[in-house]
Amino acid sequence: MSVATQPAKPTRRGWRALDTNTRWLLSLVGILVAELLYFNLGVSTFWGGGWGNPNSLLGYGEYFLFTSMMALGVMFVIFAGDIDLSVGAMSGFAGVMMAEFHLGGMNIWLAVVLSVVLCAVIGLIQGLIITFFKLESLLVTLAGWFILQSAAVAWEGPVPPYNLPSGFESALGTGTIGGTIPSQLIVFAVLAVLATLIVHRSRFGRQLVLIGHNRDAAAYAGVRVSLTRIRAFVLSATFAAIAGMCVAATYGTARDDLGPTLLLPAITAVVLGGVDIFGGAGLVPGVIVASFILGWLTPGLLQDGVSDTWTSIAIGILLLGSLTAKGMSDRGQGTLLRERLRARLGTGPPTSPPTSVDSA
Amino acid sequence: MSIAVRRHQPAGVRPGPPDGSDYVPSSYEARQIAKSFAGARALTGASVRFEPGTIHTLVGENGAGKSTMLKVMAGVHRPDAGELILGGEQLRSLTPRTAQQHGIYLVPQEPTLMATLSAVENLFVGILPRARLPFSVDWRAMTQTAGSYFEQVGLDVDPRQPASTLSIAQQQLLECARALVHRCNVIFFDEPTSSLTAHETEVLFDLMRRLRGRSFTLGFISHRLDEVFEISDRITVLRDAQIVAEFLPDKVTREELVTAMVGKEIAKRERRHRDLSGAETALEVDGLSASRAFSEISFSVRRGEVLGLAGLVGSGRTEIAESIFGVRPATGGVVLEGRPFRRRSPASAIAAGLIYLPEDRGHHGVFANVELERNITAATVGVLPRFGPLLRPAAEKEIAAKAAERTRVRAASLQIPIKSLSGGNQQRAMFSRWLLAEPKVAIFDEPTRGVDVGAKADIYSIIDSISDSGIAIVIISSELEELVLLCDRVIAIYEGRVVSEVAGDEITLERLGSMIVGEVAK
Repeated sequence: MSVATQPAKPTRRGWRALDTNTRWLLSLVGILVAELLYFNLGVSTFWGGGWGNPNSLLGYGEYFLFTSMMALGVMFVIFAGDIDLSVGAMSGFAGVMMAEFHLGGMNIWLAVVLSVVLCAVIGLIQGLIITFFKLESLLVTLAGWFILQSAAVAWEGPVPPYNLPSGFESALGTGTIGGTIPSQLIVFAVLAVLATLIVHRSRFGRQLVLIGHNRDAAAYAGVRVSLTRIRAFVLSATFAAIAGMCVAATYGTARDDLGPTLLLPAITAVVLGGVDIFGGAGLVPGVIVASFILGWLTPGLLQDGVSDTWTSIAIGILLLGSLTAKGMSDRGQGTLLRERLRARLGTGPPTSPPTSVDSA
Repeated sequence: MSIAVRRHQPAGVRPGPPDGSDYVPSSYEARQIAKSFAGARALTGASVRFEPGTIHTLVGENGAGKSTMLKVMAGVHRPDAGELILGGEQLRSLTPRTAQQHGIYLVPQEPTLMATLSAVENLFVGILPRARLPFSVDWRAMTQTAGSYFEQVGLDVDPRQPASTLSIAQQQLLECARALVHRCNVIFFDEPTSSLTAHETEVLFDLMRRLRGRSFTLGFISHRLDEVFEISDRITVLRDAQIVAEFLPDKVTREELVTAMVGKEIAKRERRHRDLSGAETALEVDGLSASRAFSEISFSVRRGEVLGLAGLVGSGRTEIAESIFGVRPATGGVVLEGRPFRRRSPASAIAAGLIYLPEDRGHHGVFANVELERNITAATVGVLPRFGPLLRPAAEKEIAAKAAERTRVRAASLQIPIKSLSGGNQQRAMFSRWLLAEPKVAIFDEPTRGVDVGAKADIYSIIDSISDSGIAIVIISSELEELVLLCDRVIAIYEGRVVSEVAGDEITLERLGSMIVGEVAK
């Protein structure tokens, strides 16, 4: 390359030469492989006796793939340095809306499309409120959470709508393609590819990430900051609504109560995936891998005889430990910490010896 | 743990006597200090020694390292290398708090008082006198003693007045009183006069002279050479992160001092003489006003012309530029290449061929953690080559590499985060970003702030070459030499208004120096 006229540092090779995002993605893949090997070797039932079995590895997807979809959605917002707490309630509301439309006589697929579109509009409204009135996304979407959750309960009445068409349940929920590949996995794969291309290869995604790194600098560089952030909230709501469709199809009923419990696992997958909670850094494939790590961890440990409580503790420890390790490696803090400890203990602080730093 | 003895005050944090009478004079020395910020070197092995009973002034251009030196010595920044020696004792791991315990106090450029607290609370913050009950404060003692501290520093305010109602000058005097309360007798003033009136400056100087009379050790930073000669006992010159000269004020002329500050490399550069009378107008600003910041600003720039906006910090130069670019609102007209530029925003400005290089590179320019390549293409994401809706990485890389080469960015690779580059290379990258946008009118705000001499020369030649290619350029700079060297014409902004204009060979340091303080003709 023509710019490399004056190497600033000796070229590093191998692991150290990779940027922090790539290093984290590879670490996650390593964790996932280790996890699968462990459960595979230690718990024979985890594989469930073959790929076609509903208790198989792939079959477990129906317990967490909708969380992964929600994670992909909220990820857009987090990339820009915002947060969307309404996605859980949004998915529940979307399911109820779709079921009520259908029970009111609408074609099921039309109901699906219409509810997803309406949820996108709700996301648009939230984004407009946040950017126009310059409010914190945390507060606005928290309010959205309350409103959507209660609206869903009020709409469905005492009996949650059930008895959805089996074609719908099979296509978005428990069905498989050729008896092997869960259809929900196909939906997720499409969304995952889409999200990856949007963030890493589109103009919108590039500007979204720049906003997350430095919102002011993005504005000075001509990025339409408000418009871009609003689009992220629309995407977040859309993905949450699609996740809501999958929840309804999986359980055969629209559930207002399940959505909000998916919110924190979704955010967990995003941050474990290496996306900076304050925006900017991160890779979409990291989020995808992290959502699988978390998704398989719970059933794996349960199969292993670990109680539900301990499973949650294990997830907390995994998150804390890995993010601490990542933060320290990103900032080269290992050395910094050693230096600080040495200074604190008073044994030869490295700052004191006079150096002959000199440049003519 | 023993809790039998409850001390009302930990030892050594009682307020000092108002007149500083228990002070043991001591010198304070920094040896071979090195400090970098995200790759930009602010100090490289600089040494300076402050003596008691002396007002010692640091001078130098913006980014020379003056503030960094004082901040390192006051514990605000941790040096990468070097030692700090106070009265023969080496200070290790200095923080602002431990610095104060050693008697070192920095009066910052912008006073950092707590706006909603009263003057007296601000005075005693950190060492509130305790009353007999636990967690209680002896308000009466505080208010009574506050008066004598205020008197010492010549501050005439009601101690109960909220700090937010004090003027900047009063806030600075309050900071000085705080230094006395904290028993500090090494006091540094980081450009205290930049936002003071002439009278307020005299009040501050009176105080500094009185403290000098009591053998305090005083450090001072100023850009105003008249002040420097008036108040200083010693002058140390910094340039490009190093100490380059030390003078006694009565043994040096103004010219020698300026030469030491600016350096010969730049001083030798010749002014260019160009005839632009036939060129068309590229940018016309007509009656631009924004509440408080500036009013009725009108000027125009021809194609290929370099127009300077001179003025003091806070005169409204940056606000004017940001309003033209659309970052901040303003009323009035802007005409770009003959077409009115309405509904101003950065995105539409860039599309219309107007670009603005912001003054604050760290906050408004670079994306510190983002690769050099994406920093360069950040302002032109909308027009990067695409395949359908998808960006083409290979094509983008080629574009960024060419742009980097054009402004001579030196980096090991385009893929490293921009924060690992020196300040000069970061600024070269900012120029490559904005040149990619193919501007017709370019506003450069402090284009050489915080860059080394080599980058400065490169940036000057970039500005020369793009103005030769017919781009109209507006330069905002606090370095008057820069305006003298680069500009075909200079207008001065004073308190938000255009007060005067010079062109051609009449642009001299002396002329600009009087223009920026509001003098219309000499």
